[in-house]
Amino acid sequence: MTRDSPTVLCADPDDASRAATVDALASAGLAVMEAASIRALESTLDDAVDCVVTAFEFDDGDGFDAVDAVRAANPDCVCVLFTDRDPSDLPRGAPEQVVEYVPKPDDGSRDRLTEVVATAAAETTQAAYPLPEAEAERLAAVRQYDVASLSAAETFDRLTALMASHFDIDVAFVGLVDEHEERFLACEGANWRTLAREDSICTHTILTDETVVVEDVREDPRFAAVDALEELDIRSYAGARITDDAGNALGAVCCTDGEPRRYSRAELDDLRRFADEVEEQLRLRRQLGGAPR
Amino acid sequence: MTARQDDRYAFDGLPLGPVDPGTSVIVTGPVLDGARELGLRLLRCDDGDCGVVIIAADSGAATTAEDFERYGGTFDRNRVGVVDCAQDGREPPADCVSAVGTPADLTGIGIEYSGHYERLYAAGYERVRTGILTVTPLLVYSEDVRPVYRFLNTVTGRIDTAGGVGACVVDPKAHDEQVVESLVQCFDGRIHVRSGDEGLELRVDGLPDQPTDWTAVDPAA
Repeated sequence: MTRDSPTVLCADPDDASRAATVDALASAGLAVMEAASIRALESTLDDAVDCVVTAFEFDDGDGFDAVDAVRAANPDCVCVLFTDRDPSDLPRGAPEQVVEYVPKPDDGSRDRLTEVVATAAAETTQAAYPLPEAEAERLAAVRQYDVASLSAAETFDRLTALMASHFDIDVAFVGLVDEHEERFLACEGANWRTLAREDSICTHTILTDETVVVEDVREDPRFAAVDALEELDIRSYAGARITDDAGNALGAVCCTDGEPRRYSRAELDDLRRFADEVEEQLRLRRQLGGAPR
Repeated sequence: MTARQDDRYAFDGLPLGPVDPGTSVIVTGPVLDGARELGLRLLRCDDGDCGVVIIAADSGAATTAEDFERYGGTFDRNRVGVVDCAQDGREPPADCVSAVGTPADLTGIGIEYSGHYERLYAAGYERVRTGILTVTPLLVYSEDVRPVYRFLNTVTGRIDTAGGVGACVVDPKAHDEQVVESLVQCFDGRIHVRSGDEGLELRVDGLPDQPTDWTAVDPAA
């Protein structure tokens, strides 16, 4: 996924080392922020940061603490350990953190770091979920659908209310899958606003043109360990992908319930029809000129 | 992804066309009946200008090195690195092997993998072939599949940006079908492997100029 100017946060307690890294990354055309401690990193992090380059030793923690802070604030952010310590000399981090590693050479060169960071920061290379093909084009398409400006919210509210009644389920929603999270445009039966992409079943639904059914979340190895689904009382799920005219997956129209549930063929056909209606509404409203340019 | 013809990676002895630098494939099939063999044969580099990094998850480094050579590879310690997360008790074949205590430690495996990649790169091997043999222990030992997605995205991301080539082996019958299908999404293409009456066969999805019908594979030379 290519963006114009990735933003990199450089965390290093050594002023001279940090300055050298910042200079090298900035010279490569990257937007660079800096932090001298884990605490400073935590307060500097925001959604705009695409990549964090971190030293290993800090006064208030280590590189894995830095990665923990990054993942808590921005789960998809690329993390790169840049240290003169050999991999075998590093203590073990949490098994699931998964980071890039670039050794700091004796000559102080940042050339290799810059190569790795410049390319990794431009893509979602540490996402904890499978990515669709042509993700950059898909995200560009999603950005065209600012539903507030399309005045579609009331329509989708009515549609999801009808779905909840029709399927006799706890929650029905329309969600758009953005770069880092799913954004709920309408949600009948709950007050959900967003859900991290790595926690969302719709992350998988947008990969296929087939309707996705999870009869029991606890029995599906893709989702059984996702605490957020338990917290939202999502035990069963059915979702149909919505796309634009070019075939880009925008999001999904979905049913969830607090109990395991099966869906008949007729019900899945109905769900597809609801999704078709959402697609049609989005398309028509864009044609009427409501979408931002 | 485009590349000059002479930049592409070739697969000697296999009925596959060359692929562009940056390509990662998942090899699916019975591990002990063809998929593991094919994964190792994809790492062969007969002209000696490639580095090789193997993440050995289901067999120790010594066994993996023997298998690599059995299928035509050259275990040259100067241009091969192994991340051994199986540790079957046998003496590692060389100091180009690094150990990670358990296949569950995806962070440790990833750092050791990058360390080997960087060592080879610093030694002048800018073309590196990566093998994950196999992903099954990583899935089995991880309580949550999401870190495995992150691990695979990180490895394939490095292969892509460094212009390498990668092969990850999985036995689809060892896992939930939906999990396998979602793993496939992390790769550029898929090589299906089966053992038929005539021996090993393969077919390819998702990559241009490759056999899409079942095609016989000659035994390793």
